[in-house]
Amino acid sequence: MSRQVTQPEKVRTDLIQTELPTPRSGGSRLRTAAFGLGATALLASCASDAPQDTWAPEGKYAQDIHNLQWPIFMIAGIVGVIVFGVVLFVVIKFKDRGQPIPEQGHGNALIEYVFIAIPALLLAGIAVPTVAEVISLNDTDNADCVINVTGQQWWWEYDYPVDASNNICGFAPTGDAAPIVTSGQMVIPVGAKVVIRGTSRDVIHSFWVPKLNGKRDMVPGRVHTWNFEAEQPGIYAGQCAEFCGLSHANMRMEIVALDDADFQAWIDNQLEPYQSPEAGTLAATGEQTFISQCSRCHQIDGLTNADGELVVASPEQFVWSGAAPNLTNLMTRNTFAGASWDLLTEDCRADVWEAPPAEFGAKYLEGVTKSCLNEIDLKEWLRNAPAKKPMYTDPESLADTDGKTRGMPYLALSEDQINELVAYLIERK
Amino acid sequence: MFTTGSKLLIGSAAAAWILAAVYGIAQGGTLGSIGLISAAIALSLLAGINVLARDSNVSANEPAGFGASAAAQSTARPSLWPLLVALGATTMTLGLVTNRTFFTLGLIAVIAGTLEWLIQGWSERASGDETYNARARDQMVDPLELPVAGAILAAIVVYAFSRVMLGLPTKTATVAAFAVVATLALGIGTLVAVKRGASKTTLGGTLSIVLVALVAGGVVAGLVGEREIEPHHTTGDLAAKNECTAEETEADEKASQSVASKSNVTAEITYKDEELRAKVPGYNDNFAQLTLQRSNPSNILFHNESDEHARLVIELHPATDDNGQPLGPERVCTALVESGGSQLLTVVIDQPSFVVEEGFAFTVAGSDAELQVVVP
Repeated sequence: MSRQVTQPEKVRTDLIQTELPTPRSGGSRLRTAAFGLGATALLASCASDAPQDTWAPEGKYAQDIHNLQWPIFMIAGIVGVIVFGVVLFVVIKFKDRGQPIPEQGHGNALIEYVFIAIPALLLAGIAVPTVAEVISLNDTDNADCVINVTGQQWWWEYDYPVDASNNICGFAPTGDAAPIVTSGQMVIPVGAKVVIRGTSRDVIHSFWVPKLNGKRDMVPGRVHTWNFEAEQPGIYAGQCAEFCGLSHANMRMEIVALDDADFQAWIDNQLEPYQSPEAGTLAATGEQTFISQCSRCHQIDGLTNADGELVVASPEQFVWSGAAPNLTNLMTRNTFAGASWDLLTEDCRADVWEAPPAEFGAKYLEGVTKSCLNEIDLKEWLRNAPAKKPMYTDPESLADTDGKTRGMPYLALSEDQINELVAYLIERK
Repeated sequence: MFTTGSKLLIGSAAAAWILAAVYGIAQGGTLGSIGLISAAIALSLLAGINVLARDSNVSANEPAGFGASAAAQSTARPSLWPLLVALGATTMTLGLVTNRTFFTLGLIAVIAGTLEWLIQGWSERASGDETYNARARDQMVDPLELPVAGAILAAIVVYAFSRVMLGLPTKTATVAAFAVVATLALGIGTLVAVKRGASKTTLGGTLSIVLVALVAGGVVAGLVGEREIEPHHTTGDLAAKNECTAEETEADEKASQSVASKSNVTAEITYKDEELRAKVPGYNDNFAQLTLQRSNPSNILFHNESDEHARLVIELHPATDDNGQPLGPERVCTALVESGGSQLLTVVIDQPSFVVEEGFAFTVAGSDAELQVVVP
């Protein structure tokens, strides 16, 4: 009886072993997963295009943080390896093999003292330089350049005040000094201690440009200061680091560092008086379209209407934060819509971003030319901004904000109007 | 094989499943299907429990156990909980025509009374052992009853005490009342701690008297009403009443002359030697001109280092609507700040400087001191 039962079972087992793939064991899956995870981490660490790499400082303050975090990371790593090694040794060495439980001991003063002293010393060794560094990073006195930074959903405004000596960032403008207001890209002089005075018009944001310094929250009603100093001319990317609503991921910023001569040229250019487009051109029509469609929220300094009166934007009546980007010199910037999209085409952008430090300033100051304009994204934005960047602009759901939008609404512009606006805006530099 | 109760529940569950299937296929209604499926699941569960419990009857093979079984016990004893349910239902009805709060309180009473009644009814027939039944009830209800009762008691004490405090005619009386209550609490606490032999009855009686006195006091104070509380004028009131002059007002008399915990301000403005100077973060120098962001609340800390009282004022030149009406206050100011005093002023300017012909400036009422403000 038993032979009759076991015989077929044996045959079946043979079949499985010869014709079907062997099921993978749990250990094998674990090894594969660990290998996959490790390989992913390795590949990610090899990313060549990482403009927000916290491990690649390019300014004094980021370098100071780097100098602190490296040894701490090393200490933590060594401690981690030792702890895991000891645990692994104990697990293997004393695995339950049915042996009798060894004699239990209680209290060993020497071991306890050592195990208290080692972590205490390690923590003290980490705490002392950390506290000193935190204090040093927060020393925002004696600035060479002060810039007011204001966050709102979902873009940054930068305004450059005129100091007691009638200078801007320590540079005397060639013409009359007046505050400069811009957005998207904050332009600073290389090698200068730049202090930003940051705040917010709506919710808490956080200003973070990893290659130049750590994060600093921008809180409504408070002014928080923070330092930046760039070693080389170039563009340094960052993004809002405090969740601030629907388009938080699209709230980016860039710091552009220029050498002294280029920064002086940038200031002078920003303060140049407004130039109306040549009469009869598409840009001139675009100017009127701008006044009728855009100037309720967006300011262009010096723009006048048909009666010769200054056109003054009133964003506080239409936008919940009370502000919209000043577009006076839009095409001197490389980005728009919260620095989320480039005004330059891909090739032109690469030409500026990858320029050697000595050539960077000239390329940046060239601004956006007609041949380099990224018309596709700009027109998509003008066609339907909320479709490109998620924002609270649906008129039927604005009861909580008294009908004011959070972001740029859909304006139902015709293709002709969009072409006119692009022709007008390309001259704003 | 199946007991009578089990047969009823199994049949009901089967009917509910069939109805749910028929309804779902024939009608396709979501709500009806959900309801029928829910009923079917509930009935199936009950049927399963009942099959296991055999209608709470002991096995037919154990006739000796009949007398001790739960099913053999008398029906549940009379209960006061239905009284609470009735009271709640009445309050709910009253609430429907008077006040929403009554309705909510009535609803809570109905739910609480029903639950307590159900649990009492169940526990008194849980087994043939009354001690076990009482313990079963306590184990089920105590974790809920005790915290809720504690919270209600605390709310009554706090609310009654707050009515008493608000009803007392003067500030001195409130201080005295607080001192008396605190002394009583301390005295009773000390007595209990020292005299450890105090009986629970004595202690409970004392605390009950205190509680009743407190509630009575609260009721009386609530009926009498709160004393008249004089509102403190703010700098906003001063601006609204156009009292941003050098003259001292009633609000100025009561204004605080010191500012606590105001860090991270936009600027500190100091009035000294007939001049206004601004200290802004980032710069070491003092400025005769200040840049403020448009449409953004800016907190300004004002220090009066002159020998006279001084009030910081700024004309805001607000934008106007289509009817020419200003969309915000025309000016804001601090209260009159005494020599050596400080005050905070929050300023929101919604127009850029180039729009306002005369520009923006902080001034000191009754003085020529001026500090230009630039709004980009």
